[in-house]
Amino acid sequence: MISDKLLGQKMYENKNNWARKVGFGFRPDDEVPSNIDVWNSNQLDGKFQLFGLNKVGLWPEEHNFSIEQRLNRLHKHLRYVEKTEKEKISREEKKLRKRASKRKSDIHLYDVQKLWNSAVYGDDIFKQRLLHFWANHFTVGGSSGFRNYVIGDLIHNVIYENLGGSFDDLLYLATTHPGMLDYLDNTANSGENSKEAINFRKIGRTAGLNDNLARELMELHTVSPERKYTETDIKNAAKVLAGWGVNLSSFVKRYNKLKIQKGSPIGNMSLEEFTLSPYLKNKAEPGKKIIMGKPFPAGPKALRKLTDMLAQDDFTAQHLSKKLAIHFIGENANKNEIKIIYDAWKASRGDLVKIHEATLKVTRVTKGKKFLWPSTWMLQGIRVSGANFMKENESAGGFGRIRDDGTPIHEPLGILEEIGHSFWASRQPDGYSEKKLDWVSTEHLDRRVRIASRIFNAGPSRSGEEIANLLDFSDRTKVAISKGRNSEEKFIIALCSSDFMEI
Amino acid sequence: MINRRHFLSAAAPALALSGYPVHGFTKGPVEGRIVVIMLQGGMDGLLAVPPIGDDDLFKQRKALVASNPLKLNPLFGIHPNFKNFSKMLKSNEASIVHATSFPYTARSHFEGQNVSQTGSKIPFSINTGWLGRAMDLAKITGKALSLDAPLLIRGAPAFDNFYPANIGKTRTPQSELLNLIKNTHDGEVMVAIDKLSQASMNRPSKLRARDPLSLATKAGESMRELNGPRVAVLTIPEFDDHSSIGSTTGHHPKLFTLLDNVFYQLRSALKEQWDNTIVLTTTEFGRTVQENGSAGTDHGYGSVGLLAGGLINKSSVVSNWPGLSNKNLYEKRDLFATIDYRSVCAACIEAAFSLDHDLIVDKVFKDKKIARIYEHIFG
Repeated sequence: MISDKLLGQKMYENKNNWARKVGFGFRPDDEVPSNIDVWNSNQLDGKFQLFGLNKVGLWPEEHNFSIEQRLNRLHKHLRYVEKTEKEKISREEKKLRKRASKRKSDIHLYDVQKLWNSAVYGDDIFKQRLLHFWANHFTVGGSSGFRNYVIGDLIHNVIYENLGGSFDDLLYLATTHPGMLDYLDNTANSGENSKEAINFRKIGRTAGLNDNLARELMELHTVSPERKYTETDIKNAAKVLAGWGVNLSSFVKRYNKLKIQKGSPIGNMSLEEFTLSPYLKNKAEPGKKIIMGKPFPAGPKALRKLTDMLAQDDFTAQHLSKKLAIHFIGENANKNEIKIIYDAWKASRGDLVKIHEATLKVTRVTKGKKFLWPSTWMLQGIRVSGANFMKENESAGGFGRIRDDGTPIHEPLGILEEIGHSFWASRQPDGYSEKKLDWVSTEHLDRRVRIASRIFNAGPSRSGEEIANLLDFSDRTKVAISKGRNSEEKFIIALCSSDFMEI
Repeated sequence: MINRRHFLSAAAPALALSGYPVHGFTKGPVEGRIVVIMLQGGMDGLLAVPPIGDDDLFKQRKALVASNPLKLNPLFGIHPNFKNFSKMLKSNEASIVHATSFPYTARSHFEGQNVSQTGSKIPFSINTGWLGRAMDLAKITGKALSLDAPLLIRGAPAFDNFYPANIGKTRTPQSELLNLIKNTHDGEVMVAIDKLSQASMNRPSKLRARDPLSLATKAGESMRELNGPRVAVLTIPEFDDHSSIGSTTGHHPKLFTLLDNVFYQLRSALKEQWDNTIVLTTTEFGRTVQENGSAGTDHGYGSVGLLAGGLINKSSVVSNWPGLSNKNLYEKRDLFATIDYRSVCAACIEAAFSLDHDLIVDKVFKDKKIARIYEHIFG
């Protein structure tokens, strides 16, 4: 526990700055809490609603999608493509029809808008920041193809819904998520002595291990290379993982096929149950495996045993406490600060609420500053200024940014891509960097100025000067703002100042 | 890793291309230029430049050899998709270094990418790149063609980046505004905004294309300008083909075509400055010698480096070939790296920046044991 003495020296007396340090700031129409400790504890376990655009109504239920709905939509689209290919129409016409079908079926633009909406209008802003942190920790790189159908499920349905649970659960759910299994090639991982591999060898085809997910599960998601595991450990982890995962493009097809097989290997599983446990026995590696000295039996239950062991490993607690500290406090988070989160991790055996609570407490007294991720900075700019940035079609029910044909527009995703910070972008599994210098370049700063200009032109209710006063900006920044030649320049200087970019 | 003495004795059979005319290039004091193409994800060197004269290749790999590689010499061939690069080999404008790697064996992308950019044996131990430190030593400027400023170039006295914006309803920020913003910052952010401000007058507003070929063109064009950057860094991602890597055709071969076109594009855009240029690839590691269960290859060790540019006098394939039989592999699975790739980087720095090898290995790489292989690569 953190001592009361430490808690005495609060670095964030200004509540508006505190809400930026651990959240996305307070909106002009938010009621600033009178007791910040009550607000803090409510952030951890309070009940929150997801609002629609401009807080008008709630986020429409029909724009939430289960994993089952997502895979069914993908399946339907692919069947339509198959059918269209056979039709006697021009190549151009085929292309148009396929594109229209993709647009109609693919729901990831809703997922993107939901992420924006939650940050800009939600009251659970610490949880939203945690959501971004964990979505980055369990990176699933997007693609122009099929992963975009399911990334939003991992973010909104798995990670967000499990922020109040244990790291053990979150790790297992993220590892077995159809998107993760696809992204890190585990759908192509089959045991060397599996039935499939033996049969394949008979007909001259190859099948065998693919260690991509096993390696990143250990290196990135849990213990990190500090743990000094061996290549054999990775190989054996890959053997435990063999059999997990089905290609997204054939997920529903495969389910339907398995379902009607004699003595169905998936029993009475519904499609939804199968998405939670997409395990193909004929690809699994038989026999016992040893990983970091511990034995793992054959069969699907071994994976949960493996993720639990990794989740409970001391190196995981060290690795992730440091990562959390760096995310909120900044690169210069010191050992004592990291240790407070680590101690909470160990004492609670990975209870995320306790870990996040410790993160909040240690951040409350830190002097460390974090150079905000581009999207965090942008969403804070929209929220704190009260800009009506997402405003098209609001009269149609408060959701916004919808085309006439009912599909959401691409721009929110486009903007995230432009600032180099989209959770749907094709990227490496280590996710986005927490290092300041990785986000400092002439081009990155050009984007920030452009985005600030866009936010201004969406009609903020707070001016540059008002933001500077609200957030106790330095005199240096206030002088620079005063020299802006018009209200737009003043606003851009405020958002692009060191005071706003780094907190 | 090979040490200097070992290399010199082993270098004799290093395989030089023969039968190609040496083009009439005489070297005077030049303002050399370096372009680094970072191949992110780990390029499969055995697929790009297969050792077709090594029978073990066909024992280890059943499917992953292109059916019609272009024969370079009795030992090596090159994937047929390297059409332009092959021409450069013939005209003595390109060289290949095989069975090479940065000194990193632990097979993590992120550690490996860090080592390939810092040039330090210990991942995440320093915050500057080997190229940045070389630029600092030679006092020259550079440009990265990416949204971010890659670690490779950090540490240089002056560098910039270029990546065209595509945000609707926005204009290029004006320098007056940028100067006011700059006043609120310190350190690297201040420097970056300052550069943005200086450049804001002559930034092309229309250029939107951001694919590697367009960026290569942009790199070549700016390096031709008077007082333009003398260093450029490009990235080609997605070499991490754990499944369906391809052989004659497929994903890796597609990337080979792209890389080949990037070489061509750089040559075209650099025009007369091509004569003063060396382009080199880097990658964090090679891939396993054997294919995995899903017709791909996993993270390995040794790979290949491709180099091209007018600074090369005579094409060669430089290699101290370790062999591909099981007993010759690193940990029984990977191509052994017998040449420290930092030797290749040092040779390129020597060629382009006219710095002494001993100075480069001491000041840039802080490792005096790095062997000099300049003559082998540049002829």
